[in-house]
Amino acid sequence: MQDLLKFILRYGNFLVFLLLEVVALLLVLTYNDYPRSTAFSTANSLVATQYRMRSNVTDYFALKQTNNLLAEENAFLRSQLDACGTLPDDSVRRQNTQGAFCYFPARVIQADTYDKHNYLTIDRGAAHGLRQGMGVRSVTGAVGVVSTVGEHYAVIIPLIHTRSRLSCRFLKDGYVGTLRWDGQDVFHAMLDDVAVHEQVAEGDTIITSGLTNAFPEGVPVGVVEKCTLAQGASYYTIRLRLLTDFKRLRYVQVLSNLHSEEIESLTDGLD
Amino acid sequence: MDWIKQIVRMLLVMALQVLLFNQLQLYGLCRPYVYVLCLLMMPVTLPLTVDMLVGVALGLVMDIFCNSLGIHMAACVLVMFLRHRMLRNAVADFERLTGEVAIASVGLEVFIRYSAALILIHHAVIFLLSAWGWAHLGWSLLQTLVSSVVTFLLVMLYCIVHDR
Repeated sequence: MQDLLKFILRYGNFLVFLLLEVVALLLVLTYNDYPRSTAFSTANSLVATQYRMRSNVTDYFALKQTNNLLAEENAFLRSQLDACGTLPDDSVRRQNTQGAFCYFPARVIQADTYDKHNYLTIDRGAAHGLRQGMGVRSVTGAVGVVSTVGEHYAVIIPLIHTRSRLSCRFLKDGYVGTLRWDGQDVFHAMLDDVAVHEQVAEGDTIITSGLTNAFPEGVPVGVVEKCTLAQGASYYTIRLRLLTDFKRLRYVQVLSNLHSEEIESLTDGLD
Repeated sequence: MDWIKQIVRMLLVMALQVLLFNQLQLYGLCRPYVYVLCLLMMPVTLPLTVDMLVGVALGLVMDIFCNSLGIHMAACVLVMFLRHRMLRNAVADFERLTGEVAIASVGLEVFIRYSAALILIHHAVIFLLSAWGWAHLGWSLLQTLVSSVVTFLLVMLYCIVHDR
């Protein structure tokens, strides 16, 4: 007993050091994939407020570009509106089987683009109706999925996170693949699970598949930049150029699937 | 009074780190974690355990801002643990070192060796833990090297201005 006390007194500091390092490593192991805790992430109000204050200032430097993007989107939406008006009323309008989506505008107040595990923080949270699992898109394309929701802020796992997966399809024929980020650079990602019998050409547009609750079908994701087939492989290696510019992302829209509860209640019973 | 100065410096340096230095990108190569300066310059009069708890606190705050719970904490605790031992070995009259650790108090050569070694260790832990695995080992080491050099230069700049 005395020896034990002596030992603790002699090596007390070292034991405290070991204890603290073990705690830190456990935290890394538990939280390295996703920030699971609202308090210990940038969804924390105190932390996010600092970022919001910074972006209040830095956003002014991008006003011109933001305006251009909005003008382009307005023009695009107007052209779609006109196209809707000219369609005959009977058969051509397709029913969206996914149900209606509701859009919340949000501002990106913090964005990583240099890591393997990148995160975005937006200034909308549970108070505005956000929930985990909602999709997020920008004017130009899909952005990611809501991960951690605080009262007024939320953390998003963008497509450029090594654990992010997104079900996508080819615009031209609806063939489905899975989007994955290889950690190389923020302008490109890979499309997996496309078998060799599919005809793939450079320049093919990839959109969201609508097979998940996060996105409706048809949100643009990327454009095929390079498609190679390894010797003897049965799946292509496809490299996409992402349509969202994560380096300049400032404003996004969160997509709330109005039928997600119903869909979840149906699929929950299947497990 | 000395501790008030330490706390004020921590707040200012952390603000700079989060709002400015964390935004430096350079292809992800240059991520100077200048906030380690506060740990390096803290007086060595507190018990080692308390020192390490300060490291935990500063590391956790940084982790929350970076969505990287545990990584900065591990690096800061290690820096605080090694600091005492390194200074005890390097400085002859360690017992009389009551003020903050700076060029004026420990000498230029000792301070350069002390800060360079600890900055390198601190950055290595952060980049290796963030990569989590040996797959990107070369890249992590390159990140460590470039970022450490930039941090070291910024720390030296601060110390020289501070001693004037």
